[in-house]
Amino acid sequence: MQACAALLMTNGQLTKLAPVDILILVLYFALVVFIGFYAKSKANTSEDFFLAGREMTAWIAGLSFVSANLGSLELMGWAGAAYQYGILAAHWYWIGAIPAMLFLGIVMMPFYYISKTHSVPGYLQLRFGEGARAVSAVSFAVMTILMSGVNMYAMALVMKTVLGWNISFSIWVGAATVALYVMLGGLRSAIINEVLQFVLIWAGAAMIPILGLIEAGGWTKLKAQIAVNMGTTDYGHMWSTLGHFKDNPMGVHWTGIVFGLGFVVSFGYWTTDFLVVQRVLSAHNLRAAKMAPVIGAAFKMAVPFIVILPGLLALSVLKNPDGSLMHLVPESVAAFHPGMHSYNQVLPLMLIRYCGPGLLGLGITALVAGFMSGMAGNVSAFSTVWTYDLYGAFINKKADDKHYVLMGRWSTVVGMLVSIGTAYLVMNAASIMDYVQALFSFFIAPLFGTVILGMLWKRASHWGGFLGLLAGTVSSIGMFIWVQTNAGALRYIAMSSDAKPMAENLYRALWSWMICVIVTVVVSLVTKPVPTEQLAGLVYGVTPIPDDGATTIWQKPIFWAIVVIVVFFVLNLIFW
Amino acid sequence: MDEHEREVESAELSIWFFCGILMLVYGLVLVATGITEVHHPPPNEVLLPWLQTLHPTLWWGVVLTVFGGFYSIRFRPGRA
Repeated sequence: MQACAALLMTNGQLTKLAPVDILILVLYFALVVFIGFYAKSKANTSEDFFLAGREMTAWIAGLSFVSANLGSLELMGWAGAAYQYGILAAHWYWIGAIPAMLFLGIVMMPFYYISKTHSVPGYLQLRFGEGARAVSAVSFAVMTILMSGVNMYAMALVMKTVLGWNISFSIWVGAATVALYVMLGGLRSAIINEVLQFVLIWAGAAMIPILGLIEAGGWTKLKAQIAVNMGTTDYGHMWSTLGHFKDNPMGVHWTGIVFGLGFVVSFGYWTTDFLVVQRVLSAHNLRAAKMAPVIGAAFKMAVPFIVILPGLLALSVLKNPDGSLMHLVPESVAAFHPGMHSYNQVLPLMLIRYCGPGLLGLGITALVAGFMSGMAGNVSAFSTVWTYDLYGAFINKKADDKHYVLMGRWSTVVGMLVSIGTAYLVMNAASIMDYVQALFSFFIAPLFGTVILGMLWKRASHWGGFLGLLAGTVSSIGMFIWVQTNAGALRYIAMSSDAKPMAENLYRALWSWMICVIVTVVVSLVTKPVPTEQLAGLVYGVTPIPDDGATTIWQKPIFWAIVVIVVFFVLNLIFW
Repeated sequence: MDEHEREVESAELSIWFFCGILMLVYGLVLVATGITEVHHPPPNEVLLPWLQTLHPTLWWGVVLTVFGGFYSIRFRPGRA
């Protein structure tokens, strides 16, 4: 019991690092800074700095694509969600990602790639004109910088909670390191670090589910133990409990999961969020650009092993010092009860349970790498959109290439400083963190409506695209404010007063997407169409898709996409 | 491609080399730590005695050393 007391330290922090753990962390920092200086020599032109010279292989672009989304905020949040809602949380990794990633690779990537656009707002400019680009670029730039600040604060908070580190120390060290390597090496540096981070996360986190399953006695015994501890078998099923809002821990209906998450939220994020799409645009040819999301999807399917499974294991094996089952609580409750831990701490708690010196350092380094990668992804995407779609489009259109590279480097530093300001703002008003994350979802669903109509429907006009995007975004914000100020509105937005916040997000996204599509269609039909000759390379039906160069079935992206989707269906049936 | 260009290109560091070298170093650190823990188990293994027989730090260190060693050699700088 003394050992347990030592692990759950009484001064608030969960554990402390041994010298070997600090060595592992220092080695990581040394390597990422070295990578920044190494990549600097290859970031001379804007194509080099913002798109890594478009010379990445399918494997590197694919791993970077999936890794850009695998930040620690995501890892810890979804491990906590698995503890709270059971295996339902895996929907965000499977139906909430796989179909959309494959759609991006097989259907949408050719248009992004052959249009030679530098960004998603850049595609909107080519397809719908400057208005749609401005709405998209401004909202994206603001959101990425805020998200970078949220990541920064989240990292500092975790380091304080787990290791007792000073918040300002964590914010400034993390921000300075990320700013240095992104400013020096641009997207190339960010991509190298993202691939490194992907490997590191698996190396640091894989021991938790492996040792957890050994302790629980295997998957079947784990499910039985969770059923005993929670008094229900609902935590082990993905689909069989989705018949009614009341039947599952998440308070969600299957229509919300299939249409809200599986279609709108997922397709919106994975196909139009420039943070992830930018990684695929760095591919060295069309086949690599099509294969990258397929490779990313295959790896994405495996992530629940290191994220969802630890959350489920905690429901069975996580114990208090007296041997009783530990009950984690919401963040708002844990904040006022020093002896209690929040859902979001489930991953660090499991890490401390199974990992001694060395392994603990590896796990903590993986978390730090995840946070830094989240910041780097946001700030590198911000720097591209700022330089190409705001500065280069509206402020200084005629500068030479070197000037834009310099602007990219400076906007990285300025973006990071604004992120630091956001981190301190969040520190003084924690509720801002929830609002920033909700804000991010406001823009994604309508943006998907605009992009998909732009790619697949040649009749969509400039005014249709612009007003549809604006209407979708405004309606999403309006619905959010309505539910915040009137709880009774939930039954209209989510179609049931039993719905929980997670379900509300899904339905709000679905409605805002539909509003965007309806407004785009109606306005397009009553306004002047875009001449067909201007749509070549941008729209399905008027664009000859070039051959991707695959000669054998093993080289064809569509073949591997079919393999991935079959595995996806099998996994859903196994955990039905 | 002339000889000079070929030399420059082969001197580039592969992303996989970075992954390999980091995992190799981490693996060796974990192996050394794991060996010292055989007779002096850390606090979490005192709490969970079944962990002591598994030696997770040592074996995970071996896995990372093999993985990292393979990638470091396979993608070492200068390899054509």
